[in-house]
This record gives sequence, structure tokens and C-alpha cells, in this order.
Amino acid sequence: MKNKRLVPWLMVLPVLVLFLSMTIYPFAFMIWSSFRQYDLSKGAETRFIGLANYFQIFSDSTAIESFKFTAKLLAVAVPTELLLGIGIAFLIRGVRGEKIIRSSLLVPMMVPAAVSGVAWKMLYNYAFGPVNWFLSLFGISKISWLGDMNYAQLGIILIDVWQWTPFVFLMIYAGLQSVPQDLIDAARVDGADWGRVFLHVEFPLLRPLILVALVLRIIDCLKTFDIVFMTTWGGPGAATHTYSFYVYKVGISFGWNIGYASALSVLLLLVSMLLVNIVFRLVRMRQQLGFGGEER
Amino acid sequence: MKVILRVLRYIVIATCLIFFLFPVYWLVITAFKPSNEWFTWPPRFWPTQLTFSNFLGAKETEVFGGTTGSIENIFPYLRNSIVVGISVSLIATVISASAAYAIARYKVGGAFLAEWIISIRMLPPIVSAVPLYVIFSRLRLINTWWALILSHLVIVVPLGVWLLISFFREIPREIDEAAYVDGASTFQTFFYVIFPLSAPGLAAVAVLSLIQSWGEFLLALVLTNDARAQTLPIFLGRYITGWRVAWGPLSAAGIVTMLPVVVFAILAQRYLIRGLTFGAVKG
Amino acid sequence: MVRKFLAIVLVLLVVAVFGAVKISVLCSPDNADALKWLAGEFMKQNPDIQVEIVPLSWEVLYPKLLQDLRSQAGSFEAFTYDVMTTGAVSFGLEDLGEFMKKYASLLPADFDIDDFIPQVLEESGKWQGKLIGLPFYNNTMLFYYRRDLFEDPKLKQAFKEKYGRELTLPVTWEEVKEIAEFFTKKFNKNSPTEYGIALMFPRTHTLFYMYLLFFGEYRNAPLGIMKHGAADLEYGEYFTADHKPAFNSEEGLKALEMMKKLMPYSPDPLGSDYGETIEYFNQGLVAMVPQWTGPYLIFKSTIGTDKVGIIPMPGRSVSGQWALAINKFIPEDKKVAAFKFITFATSKWADKQKFLRFAVAPARMSTLKDPEVRAADPRVPALEVTYVSQTHRPRIPEEPRLEDITVETFSKILAGTLPLSMDTLNDLAKKWQEVLGK
Repeated sequence: MKNKRLVPWLMVLPVLVLFLSMTIYPFAFMIWSSFRQYDLSKGAETRFIGLANYFQIFSDSTAIESFKFTAKLLAVAVPTELLLGIGIAFLIRGVRGEKIIRSSLLVPMMVPAAVSGVAWKMLYNYAFGPVNWFLSLFGISKISWLGDMNYAQLGIILIDVWQWTPFVFLMIYAGLQSVPQDLIDAARVDGADWGRVFLHVEFPLLRPLILVALVLRIIDCLKTFDIVFMTTWGGPGAATHTYSFYVYKVGISFGWNIGYASALSVLLLLVSMLLVNIVFRLVRMRQQLGFGGEER
Repeated sequence: MKVILRVLRYIVIATCLIFFLFPVYWLVITAFKPSNEWFTWPPRFWPTQLTFSNFLGAKETEVFGGTTGSIENIFPYLRNSIVVGISVSLIATVISASAAYAIARYKVGGAFLAEWIISIRMLPPIVSAVPLYVIFSRLRLINTWWALILSHLVIVVPLGVWLLISFFREIPREIDEAAYVDGASTFQTFFYVIFPLSAPGLAAVAVLSLIQSWGEFLLALVLTNDARAQTLPIFLGRYITGWRVAWGPLSAAGIVTMLPVVVFAILAQRYLIRGLTFGAVKG
Repeated sequence: MVRKFLAIVLVLLVVAVFGAVKISVLCSPDNADALKWLAGEFMKQNPDIQVEIVPLSWEVLYPKLLQDLRSQAGSFEAFTYDVMTTGAVSFGLEDLGEFMKKYASLLPADFDIDDFIPQVLEESGKWQGKLIGLPFYNNTMLFYYRRDLFEDPKLKQAFKEKYGRELTLPVTWEEVKEIAEFFTKKFNKNSPTEYGIALMFPRTHTLFYMYLLFFGEYRNAPLGIMKHGAADLEYGEYFTADHKPAFNSEEGLKALEMMKKLMPYSPDPLGSDYGETIEYFNQGLVAMVPQWTGPYLIFKSTIGTDKVGIIPMPGRSVSGQWALAINKFIPEDKKVAAFKFITFATSKWADKQKFLRFAVAPARMSTLKDPEVRAADPRVPALEVTYVSQTHRPRIPEEPRLEDITVETFSKILAGTLPLSMDTLNDLAKKWQEVLGK
């Protein structure tokens, strides 16, 4: 009987050890150093400075701007990806060549972000890029995709949509495959048209899945880094600084200001925890995982 | 009316295909273009003179040197990516499955443990990059495969556990119980009964883990120094120099960086589609 | 007999491999090929030393180096570093002056330290009186123009009719502006090129260099010198002689105004970096471009030597030097091996070879005077002039951070989201004081 209780713990042990060793220390280190002056460009020694690092954030206009752009990315890119992903999943269902189309649409999510940054940088080239060439067919004059505040932001959002819509599409498509055909047939027999089947049968079934996709996209969107690193480098001005990119610059790129970067990180972590907590409630995470609520 | 709708549907699908495939297509053809065709107006949508010099180096290499003239130095990086990617994928699948099973069936640690594991996914890599650098340099693991494998596991395992918890909950309990009645232990049940039944879920976790580890950029940037452990995404940086951006070789290296994972994932997509439902669709 | 011989060879090889001192040299990809070749030559002469060259892209090199030196991990025995990071990494660099005294016999026969261009040795090598680096890549910016267009009689005639003066090679930015307008289709429909000049004002460190091309002209003019004093090689032209910000001044404002004035004649200046502007010039989209020494190789092979002209930068150039140095935190035998290699790689012979073979800009007067070099490369006359007149970025430890906040402000000014005014520059100067802790 003792064995019965021990074995499940043994089974979670590897994950538990991994996470405790790999996250507790970084977490503690981050909190500790966020209260200290810890700046490798000045020296290896550290010094307690209270909340100074935290206060600095509020007067740091770049930090605030990067926060705003990250929020914009969340507010524009994520919903677009969800809508497009869902739309495409329905659109290609039952179409001739479905399998090939499906495989093709999945490609962007597998392309490493560094590589997509390279590809898009070529596409966005002002004078020779295919994007501006395509627009010129419609009489639109050349756009500075990397040098204009608004277009650079749009440019980053577009890359994000390109990269991640396929992931949402894949999840929804996978979900659609497991909607029991008899439910749809039954609705059809009752005289429901395509729209009604979607609204009353498929959508309610897909709702939890859509919310899972939403959670995953929110989490990953807050981490956006490599695309910016490879294309705009945060410019012009601070227009396309994502928060992660800014923390990278402070914490590593411009001389390892670890103390201040830690304070910025703590803030990021608090915000993502808050956001995800809200979404977890929305998706009723506990029930999904089989805790609380009725057991299905 | 119906015909118009059908035509419209195909037009929309075609537009989507172009949008999602064109960037990849552009990268691929640039890799086969000679340097005077990388940027032209109007753009060349197919190379007029096909060249392999961006891969192999050619006359240009004599002018510009092998570092930016070809991809001759890519092999150690490819090896590192393969070793790290496959290790992460295998280890993540095994430990996520075992943890997910214990949580799904035995409610180990309660909701708290499950939520904690999944919420690790929220930890942005940039937050842990600096502290991880500090620990790994104390453990002398900087610039080793292990530094990347361990840190990538932290990124991929939460998603794996989440996905598999949902997946295991789909498998009827009666199957486990039947195995117990036959005298199997918990481990035996897990390995011989549940594992095979959950193949699509496991495959999905393996593929997703590989994709994430393969493309991971920030931690690889911080935790490795040279060809001994650096992975492909970091390799790309060398083609962007202060005096030349070698777009052709850069694209060629980009192809090597994405091809293995794209091919693998396309081959395994059947499992992705069956395994990625998060147990969320219930009839 | 043969077997015995083979056995001896094998034993020797094993000794060579295992007895060898191994050193790894970190460098930016710009210099990797030259260093690899030099390492090969070096190992032929020194079979007991193994040299491995590790290229790492620019953005990553400085933080990696700083972290490695701070933790005293000793992952790299020698490295090239951008001179703007001199102050920041100086604590971890071996004092080469002491080393040279101690191991004078190890110096290559043709290593004459007085042969380095004095200003270059000062900027690349010295920090607070000590010799900590050796000049390796003496990079600077040159002004490239389309000679065929500047010498075209019809265009010259048209230019004279329009502006009332000859189409001459520009010396000031004001002149560049006129010529750039002439070569821009939007303002002159008979222009052979779409745009006059390719400029790069992106969000990266590039903008920090580019500003000095313009600021240098006004800052180092007699009136500017009178107001701000002469710049020193530690703080550079961004500062006054008494180390206060110099850009929040009339001269600083004028530089940004000029940059803004030139933008209409340039394709996408805010979205372009080095790579893009090279392509613009390469594809014949523009008539002029300020660029580093290296792109000449590309222009030569695509546009042709006869069509590309090279002159010193109108206004002032800016130095972009890289030096070779030794890690302080490694065992003595590795230091000695690294010392042998870096002195070999900066010797007279190496300085000439790396320029002729890999176009790595020379740091020695003997190379610039060498008849073979002068015959082979049209950049030499322009380089000679530039090396003594160019401007300099700060080398103080705070440089990387000053650079980032400055680029952000300048980028916003040029994009029009911050006003081009003294107030904006004063705000920036205030931020500088905060970083400098004054």
C-alpha cells in the first residue's frame, strides 16, 4: 500500500527535480539581485540599494515604451492569429488537396524565428524587397517597413502573425478532426445550415481548445525577442522594443546591468502571472486538468 | 451563387498559401542566387542563373573568405543542434509523460503541483538567462550541450505535461484497472499499456519539443561560446558583418537551419493533429 | 626501416599534438578569415602552439567578453575587441608593455612598435598610460562615389547650369547636399540614379558612428575647437576637453539638421544599415555612399574599379578600430603563447599581408608607404589622410550605454517623434550625466 503512494511521486520526481533546480535558484537570484547594484560593467561586487532599481523603471521611458509595444503586440497579433487560425481551419476543411494545403500551412511554425527574421528582412527591403514590389502593383509607393515607427510595428506584428497563426490553425484543425461526425449529421438532418452547425455544434465544442490556444499565445507573445533582434533591433527610436528585448539589452547586451534587469524581470513575471491567472480562470484550468468540479 | 462562393474560397486559400509560404520560398531561392541577384528591382522571383556557390563557396570565397562566403563551417553547429534537439525531445517526452500520468491518474501534489508545472511556461527565458549563466558557469557547464539541454527542458516540459495530462484523461481508467487485475505494477501499466495507447500524444510532445529546442535563440546565445556547443540559429549571426551582409550564404545557412526540423515535423504531422487536442473536444 | 621511420613520425606527431599549448582567439566575423590565415602561418612556424579562431557576431562579442573577464573564467586566451569597449574591458587585459620588457626576445624580428601610426596605437592600444592592445583592424569610414557619373561631361554641364559651379568632389556636407539633390530623380528628372546618397541611420550602433561624420565637421572646426576644446582619445568628440557632453550645442544641433536635410536624397535612411546601403550603391541606385574600408571589395567586383571613386569623408570620418589583446586571467604559458601569436599577427609582414589578401585596413606606416601596397589599392591615399583627421567615439567604460540612449534619442529626432531642439539635446545630456554618475 505504501508503494501505491510512493510510485506516483517517483514518477513526477524527474520533472520536480529539474524544475526545482532550474527555477528556484534563478528565481531567488533574480529577487536578490533586483535589490542590489549589480553591474558587470562597473565591477563584480554587489551592493544593497533597496528599491532603487524598481523606482528606476518608472522614470525609464524606454522600459515604458517597450511595455506599450508588447501590449500592442498582445492586443493586435494574438487576436488576429486566433481569428485567422480558426478561419483557415474551417476554410480548408474538405477542400480538394486538403492534406497538401494543411502541410504547407504548417511550415512557418517550424521555421526557427532567427531564420524567419532573416527572410522577412529581405522581404521588407525598401528598395528591392518583394513586399514593396507587390504593393507597387497596386500603385502604392514604397514603404519603409523597418524605418517608419508605425510600419515597423506593423511589420513585427505581421511576422508574428505569419509565424504563429499556423500553430493556432493546427490546434483548431486537430480539434475539428475529433468533433464527432454524428453530431454534425444530426444537426444537418434537423435542417441546420453551415453557419448554424458552426455556431451551435462546433464552436461550443471548440471553445476550450480556443482558450488553450489563447493562453499559449499570450505566454509566448510576452517572450517575443528573436524576431526583433534579427530585424529592427527595436527601432526606430524605441518603437519596436519588446519588453524581453529591452531586458536583454539591459541585462546582457550593453554591459550586464544584472540588478536593474532583474527588477525589470520581476515586473514582467508579475504581469505574466497576473495575465495567465486570469486566463487560467477563464479556461477553468483546474477542471481541464481533472481537479475540482465534476469528474468526467 | 454557389460557384462564386467556391471560387472565392479557393482564392482565399491561395492567398493564405502565398502569404505563409512565400517568405520561405524567398529564402530558398536567395540561397541559389549569385550575389548580383540578391537584391534587384524588380525582384527576381526565380533565379536566372542557379548557383551552389552560396553553399560550397566559389570564386567569391577567394574575395570574401570562407567565414561569410559559404557554409563550410556549419557542420559542428548542425551536430550541436541535432544532439541538443533530439536529447531534449526524448528526455522531455519521457519525463513529461511520467509526470503527467502520475498527475492525471493519482492526482499527485493536487492542483497546485499541476498548475505550478504549467505556469513555469510563463517564465520568459530572458528572466532566467542571467541566473542560469551564473549557475552554469559555477558548474562549468557553460558552452556544453548540457547547459542547453537542461535549460531547453525547462521551456518545453510544461507544455508537454499539460498536453499529456489532457491526453491521459481521455484514456479510460478501466484499461489501467484491467492491467492491475492482471497483476501489473504501476510502472508496468504505464510502460506497457498506457504508453502505446498514447502514442499520438507522445509523438506530438516529441515533435513540439524538438521544434522549440531547435529554434531557441536567446539561451543558446547566452550559454554557449563556440562551435563546441553553439546551435544553428546563433551560427547565422556571422554572415552579418560590419562590411558585408552575405545574404546568399546566410539564406543557405537558413535552409540548413530549418530543413531538418521542417521535414521531420511534416512527416510527423499526422501525430501532431491527433495529439494536439488537449483533450478539449468532448462530444 | 620504413616502419621505424613511421613510428618516429607518429611519436613526434603525438608529442606535437599533446604537448602543444592550445589557445583560442575570439574575434568578430569581419576579421575571422584574416586571423584564420595568420593562425595557419603562425602554426607552421610554431608547431608547439595551436591557435583556434572563434568568430562571434558583433552584438554578442562585447557582452560575452565582459562576462568572461568578470568571472575570470578564461575561456578565451586572446581576442579582438572594438576600441569603444576599451574602458569597459581594460580591467581584464594583460599589460603588454610589461610583457614586452619581460619577454623581449619573443617579439618577431619585424615588430617595430614605433612603426604603428601614433594616433592608432594610442587609440587601439593604450588605456590610462598602459599598453593593453595591439592595433589589428584599423577600420575607418571612406566616401565612395560613382566616378563614371562625376566625370560624365553631360552631367557636369547640367550640374553647372543648375548650380552655377563645377561638379567637384565634395569636401563639406553642404556640398554633398547639392550633389545629392542633383542625383535624385525626384528633384532632377534627368538624374541617372534614383537617389543621390545612401545613408544609414538605423537603431543600431551605426547611428552613433554616423552622427560623428556630421558633428565632427562642426565640432572640430576652429570655432568648435574654441568652444569645446580639442577632443582627447579617451572621451572622443562627443565630449568637450573637460569631459562634459559637447553635442548639446549649436554644433550638435547643426549636425542633426544636416542629417535631416540629407534624408530626402537617400533611400530609406532610417530603415537601412550597412548591409542595405552597400546594396543600394552596388545596384546603381545611388551615386554616393559613406562606408567602411571593407565594402570596397564588393564594389570592385560588381561595379568595377574604374567606376568607383574613393575620397576622404566630407566633414570628418570616424574610426572603427579593433585591437588584439591577451586575457589577464590565464596561466603564464598560455599568456606567452597568446603573446607570440598577437605580436605575430600585428607584425609588419602580417600588417601588409592581411591588407593585401583580406583588405583588413593597415595600422602601420610601413604598409601605407609600401609601393606594392600603394599600387595594389586605391584606398591608400584616402586612408592616409583619414587616419590623422578622423573623429573618435568615447572609450570610457560607460560607452556602450551612452551609445544606446543616444541612438534612441537621435533615432526619434530623425523620425520626427522628438523635436529637433536644444531642449531635446539637453535632456539627452542630462541622461548622460546620470550614466556617468556625475
